[in-house]
Amino acid sequence: MKALKIIPENCTGCMRCELACSYEQTGTFQPSKAVIRVSAFESHTSYSPYTCPQCAEAWCMTACPVEAIVISPAGAKDVVNDICVGCKLCTIACPYGTIFYDADLHKAFKCDLCGGQPACVSACPRDAIFYEEVQVTDWVGPFAAERAQAPGGPLAVGVN
Amino acid sequence: MAIKHVIIGGGTAGWNAITTIREIDGGNSEIILVSDENPYSRMVLPYYLSREIGESHVFTASETRLGQLKVETRLGRRAVSLDPNANKVVLDDDEEIQYDNLLIATGSSPVRAPIPGADAPGVHSFWTLDQARQLAAELQPGTRVAMIGAGFISFTILDSLVQRGADLKIFEIAPRILPRMVDDTGAGIVAKWLADKGVQVQAGAEVTSIEESGGAKVLKFKGGPDVEADVVIMATGIKTNLEWLEGSGVEMNAGILVNDFLRSSESNIYAAGDVAEGLDCVTGEKAIHAIEPTAMQHGRVAGANMAGVETVYSGSLLMNIVGVLGLEIASFGSWDDPEAEVIEAVQPDRPAYRKLLFRGDRLTGAIILGSEGDVWTTNDVGILKGLVHSGNELSAWKEQLRKNPFDVKRAFLATGAAAALLPKTLLGRPSVPERDIAVSS
Ligand SMILES: Cc1cc2nc3c(=O)[nH]c(=O)nc-3n(C[C@H](O)[C@H](O)[C@H](O)COP(=O)(O)OP(=O)(O)OC[C@H]3O[C@@H](n4cnc5c(N)ncnc54)[C@H](O)[C@@H]3O)c2cc1C
Ligand code: SF4
Ligand code: SF4
Repeated sequence: MKALKIIPENCTGCMRCELACSYEQTGTFQPSKAVIRVSAFESHTSYSPYTCPQCAEAWCMTACPVEAIVISPAGAKDVVNDICVGCKLCTIACPYGTIFYDADLHKAFKCDLCGGQPACVSACPRDAIFYEEVQVTDWVGPFAAERAQAPGGPLAVGVN
Repeated sequence: MAIKHVIIGGGTAGWNAITTIREIDGGNSEIILVSDENPYSRMVLPYYLSREIGESHVFTASETRLGQLKVETRLGRRAVSLDPNANKVVLDDDEEIQYDNLLIATGSSPVRAPIPGADAPGVHSFWTLDQARQLAAELQPGTRVAMIGAGFISFTILDSLVQRGADLKIFEIAPRILPRMVDDTGAGIVAKWLADKGVQVQAGAEVTSIEESGGAKVLKFKGGPDVEADVVIMATGIKTNLEWLEGSGVEMNAGILVNDFLRSSESNIYAAGDVAEGLDCVTGEKAIHAIEPTAMQHGRVAGANMAGVETVYSGSLLMNIVGVLGLEIASFGSWDDPEAEVIEAVQPDRPAYRKLLFRGDRLTGAIILGSEGDVWTTNDVGILKGLVHSGNELSAWKEQLRKNPFDVKRAFLATGAAAALLPKTLLGRPSVPERDIAVSS
């Protein structure tokens, strides 16, 4: 199955993935509605995007009391808005912190791989995100751990 | 002969067991479902009450679908006794059913405060679809609703009552609201939020009786003025449905004691959901977690074991989330552990609260409050759950969290929580949508 591969070493923190994602998902540029989100490390000298790994268990999908989450043809776990009642259960069932509640629409939202053409991949100018046949793994952990020696100051607003 | 599974209770746990058995055996067993109610999900009822969804949306399976899954049904019927020696359950119409494997998934029922007038017409519980229908029918814009109890269930329907235009007042006997979901600080933030939005919630208010006067209900209080209402809702707690098992010999504490395979003291009797007292993955002890995710997980693991696929359950994680008028409230794991080391912070400028509870370097519990529209709330809710779920040692990041308890996302990423979580699965695959389960005829 094709999945998103993240190479955090290449990320410069330009946030184009967040912008492209929110535009693809909502039709407007609102990083707060992006489902790929960039974190800063080492006092904002290194960065990494993070998003749903489309985990095998699909905790979100199995927890949903109304079967509002389905597997799309692209292989993504995808929220069907007309069925979702906005109960938020999926947002705590998923242990990866990658499915969110939209307070405006009263629905859950997550990465749907843009139907097989992820906007973040085309938007990234530095080869930090790929969409390919790959085993799901913790792309960000080792990178972030190396930079944990200097956790740095409080986070800047706008960087998730 | 095909193995015969009998499932008692068609709620979340029972239904998940059925679909899991069918995912595995494709129809090569006999399944009999005995349930007092048709299969539906209780936790969707608040959205039915608010009229955001119609009644059909709450059901998890239609009778047609049950038929397609080759499930024989006894709906609207109750199990009244169990004889494990004879592998037999008896129903309320005296029918006796033999089983090879039995699943007990009878859930819980609401209990009302033991006060005069508690059972009078116009006093409602909100637990079943029937009760939801009755309450929904009585609500008009301006209806004066008095809700007794300010716990989790009461808060799951608060928004719906407000949306329906009810004139709502809430009374809680405990000194503060949400006593079993958040701590004092959290409760204070919620109380202030509700007061600012004009919802009256009174803690430390003991209702002593409910009387009738000129077509209205009059709530009498210990040391307080009377309150008149058109409709009274009692959300004063629940009890597990175990009465019918009395004398059966199945080992019970507060719930049916189950092992890591969801088996009870009888090897061919399983229990799942609100009735089961099973492993808590955070404390390592047995507990009842009367929540939807536990019912789902128990149901799936019990179903797999019943279908002959040996599956070990690593335990359930207590977790609750509820939104009231745009404020998100969630707690995870051992959030009220008196022996935990606590790191907490409230933002001065907005209603945002994080409480992190540690045993050693492990995050064993958490509370989060924040506005639903706040990107930090949406971000941190799942991350906190993940940190507790992973059981990872936070080491150096614990000190960073002491400086800034809001820095949970980076702690999650840098401690490799995702790597720890990937192999921690239930069955290692999603549920198959019920419509896609192939059943041989
Ligand atoms: C309004 C409301 C909101 C909720 N919101 C949430 C939430 O947001 N998050 C959350 O985690 N949980 C929530 N819950 C709790 C959640 O619904 C329960 O934990 C869950 O339903 C438990 O599933 P279960 O299968 O164990 O029991 P149930 O779903 O209660 O199913 C038990 C079934 O057994 C049947 N039965 C009982 N006795 C017998 C008998 N003797 N013979 C035959 N059948 C019998 C019942 O009719 C019922 O169909 C909510 C509950 C309510 C009422
Ligand atoms: S949102 Fe979470 S639970 Fe759902 S597929 Fe992605 S990682 Fe898995
Ligand atoms: S928020 Fe929507 S998708 Fe998530 S569990 Fe609830 S109904 Fe399902």
